[in-house]
Amino acid sequence: MPKILFYPDNRVVEVEKGESLIRAAMLAGVHINASCGGSSTCGKCRVIIENGKVNARPSAKLSADEVSQGYVLACTTTVDEDIEVRIPIESQMGDSRVALERELETVTHGGFLSAKSLVDLIGEFNINPATQRLYVELPPPNLEDNVSDLERLRRELNRQHGISNFQVDISVLRGMGALLREADWKITATILSLGGSECDRLIRIDKGDRTDKHYGLAVDIGTTSIYVELVDLSSGETLAKASEYNAQVSCGEDIISRIVYSLKENGLAKLQELVTETINKLIDRVIEKSGVELDDIVHMVAAGNTTMTHIFLGVPPKYIREEPYIPTATFMPTVMASDVGLKLPQGTRVYTVPSRASYVGGDITAGLLGSGVYRSEKLTLYIDVGTNGEMVLGNSDWLLSCSCSAGPAFEGGSIKNGMRATKGAIEQVRINPKTLEPMILTIGQARPRGICGSGLIDTVAELFLTGVINEKGRFNTEIDHPRIREVDGQAEYVLVWAADSATKRDIVITEADLDNLIRTKGAIYAGITTLLDSMQMQVEAIEEVLIAGGFGRYLQIDQAMTIGLLPEIDPGKVKYVGNGSLLGSRLILLSKEAKDVATEIAQKMTYLELSTHAGFMDSYVSALFLPHTDRDTFPTVMKRMKVY
Amino acid sequence: MAFQAPTEQYSGKIREVVIGTTNSQVIAGGQNTLAFHTFEGTIPHRPLIAMEVYDIEPQEWADALKEVIGDVWGDPVAWAKKCQDEFGADLICLQLASADPNGLNRGADEVAETVKAVLSAISIPLIVYGCGNAEKDGEILKKVAEVAQGRNIVIGPAVEDNYKSVAAAALGFSQNVAGETPIDVNMAKQLNILMTNLGLPAEKILIDPAVGALGYGLEYAYSVIERDRLAALQQNDSMMQMPIIANLGKEVWKTKEAKISSEEMPEWGDPTRRGILWETITAVSLLVAGTDILIMRHPESVKLIKRTLNEFGLMN
Repeated sequence: MPKILFYPDNRVVEVEKGESLIRAAMLAGVHINASCGGSSTCGKCRVIIENGKVNARPSAKLSADEVSQGYVLACTTTVDEDIEVRIPIESQMGDSRVALERELETVTHGGFLSAKSLVDLIGEFNINPATQRLYVELPPPNLEDNVSDLERLRRELNRQHGISNFQVDISVLRGMGALLREADWKITATILSLGGSECDRLIRIDKGDRTDKHYGLAVDIGTTSIYVELVDLSSGETLAKASEYNAQVSCGEDIISRIVYSLKENGLAKLQELVTETINKLIDRVIEKSGVELDDIVHMVAAGNTTMTHIFLGVPPKYIREEPYIPTATFMPTVMASDVGLKLPQGTRVYTVPSRASYVGGDITAGLLGSGVYRSEKLTLYIDVGTNGEMVLGNSDWLLSCSCSAGPAFEGGSIKNGMRATKGAIEQVRINPKTLEPMILTIGQARPRGICGSGLIDTVAELFLTGVINEKGRFNTEIDHPRIREVDGQAEYVLVWAADSATKRDIVITEADLDNLIRTKGAIYAGITTLLDSMQMQVEAIEEVLIAGGFGRYLQIDQAMTIGLLPEIDPGKVKYVGNGSLLGSRLILLSKEAKDVATEIAQKMTYLELSTHAGFMDSYVSALFLPHTDRDTFPTVMKRMKVY
Repeated sequence: MAFQAPTEQYSGKIREVVIGTTNSQVIAGGQNTLAFHTFEGTIPHRPLIAMEVYDIEPQEWADALKEVIGDVWGDPVAWAKKCQDEFGADLICLQLASADPNGLNRGADEVAETVKAVLSAISIPLIVYGCGNAEKDGEILKKVAEVAQGRNIVIGPAVEDNYKSVAAAALGFSQNVAGETPIDVNMAKQLNILMTNLGLPAEKILIDPAVGALGYGLEYAYSVIERDRLAALQQNDSMMQMPIIANLGKEVWKTKEAKISSEEMPEWGDPTRRGILWETITAVSLLVAGTDILIMRHPESVKLIKRTLNEFGLMN
């Protein structure tokens, strides 16, 4: 890995080949002026390469003279080898030495579950999807060989592929006679095996040989966001991905308000329509991106929380909300995609991952499967931070789960300038403790549009460490600084001025946003401590922490601890798995064995109901403080605060 | 072998908060054990009783009160003197109800005059409570702290929305602060952290847990105070080791049970005894939970509490 030495701070950092220089600086804790998110528009992140070679894109912001002196823009420069870089005075944010004294235990890259370990995960299962596409050539009928078309197909499938025992969708029969003849008796049969006691089914026949065109969809139906992946079921490869806000957001931001909406006249139908509308839109997008034909998508696996699963399938979620919180079903039948309004080909089935309880859904089952918790020897804490925060503690022997309503803050919901982790979202933030000027980087290094989860965690942590906000998330309005101001009676901090933003409006974080974020992190932390307490375990007993959720790529573990979202724990034990629900859905799509494991997980997991748990509320209130009311449990953060 | 009662040893100790000046100071806290547990620890200072004085003439107060303080309640100075000289109050708690923006809305200077007058008339230490409007209290307590400079009084209640100005005033003029949070252990601790972060010494802080009267959340207040205490003593939590002050008089005397006449509720018995007992039972319960300073209203209730303390050997 290339090593970068920054002058005048004399800080060294190692990064992956091809990493941009500005991210390297951020990683090293070196403050460089960067107000456009790294989109190369502000031209403020000028640095001088003193030694070594870099890949720098030419920029109109630099004169020929400067280029000859070694000037580059840090945001458009990538690193392949060891280099030495000087930050010129004009790019420094005041006295950067203060920043130096900070203890940085940055684990940004190490914290991410790498592509390789994802392959390892899947490697645990053989690719063996529930659907098979089989090429069959049938001898045309004649007066001697005059069995029916279906019998003929059955006979040949048995003869050529050893498959005889299956049922047939009526829709297949309706078109069969004409199709076989038009196809000159050369067809591809698609067989779905549902597993368990259910018989295999012939779900479609197509002309010619389409066996190499075997695709499926993995879908995560989140309360706030929906993710769709188009997967090649022969190779296991993901061909295209797309995500979008769940259109149901217009009917309420959290699960409870969705359930309330479902009780209105036609409310459930409307919600069901909105979610399929969003998925259909995303299907269009992955089709377009991949060039795959819609007709070749033969299976879909979806995971969502229990309420989302109910609504998606048109099952009233009403009783989930009422004590004693009972879902209609945790194991849902596999349904025909067309029956729920999805624009998938006739015959394509949708399998939804089983839930454990009303508030621990298929997304968690899928996450535990996808991240391998169910077979881990280590005591693992799995945290899924979505609109609801679900936590599971356990290993291959036992699993204890709980859920708290965390709110959509870390997905950008109910945050003034919040957004999902997509292009233009501010994902990394540093604030210079002396000048209180921010250094920001966006996803795709595009002009900033808003702030995503990791950026919000960074912002709260940095505002807190620099003393701009207090432990309660209140602004210190005595600080005289143009970025700290009051608008309509509410204090806020300006992260990006309108001139640098993509929206042409200031991007701010308000006191109300901070309230929401503190409540969210408090609920999650309280869930973790309640789980540990009920097993009479200490934080130290946890051997691995896996974090799932749509934070964005650069979730920084030490910052998450600074705000008390996570207990203080060796950062090396923490991994960010990204969208665990989607990961598990993909596995189930690719492997029948994985589906059986998901069933087992949903059956064996224990569920702890927090609403009736005596200690939870107390833990929650004590967590509504930065980092926490019980400061002794955050010694590292307390030490870091003193440096400021 | 004689029976030996089991005892607990605690790792923590309640801080001593000194109120008033050398000649006439009182000290709250200092114990290393639970309330009345003299058999297993030391309780260097007995619980204190502050008696309430209002800066405006009370309206619609119970007859039981009118009988004993009706003669002075139009004059805060006379009222305070009576509490000190006749009723044996350990401290006076002056409640600045006149500052309430929804009432007389008196300004800081005006209420500070009353504070000055009361201070010059009494020798026992003073607690000054604002009107309960956070913003207004922030303003007036600043002035109060200033005019009381040198008397080491308690100002309060500091709440989440005004703790900065109240703590700054106390710090600037060397006074103590009672920090009030809504019956919650964690919130009490959070406010203490916020105030000490501003530089206010922990020895200048009292915890006001916003108690309720008998029948109006007393059991809740009881368990929260008990938990405050256990955090301080058992867990040695430094930010919970402040003495506890309970502003109970006004809670008790606004209840129907303490106020209503015998004509309206003949089956409830003698209203005077009823009101006094209502206050006494509330106060005793809060003492057992761990309260260090009681803010009370009726002289007979005060007498009963003193008798109780005496019988427990705590009046020496």
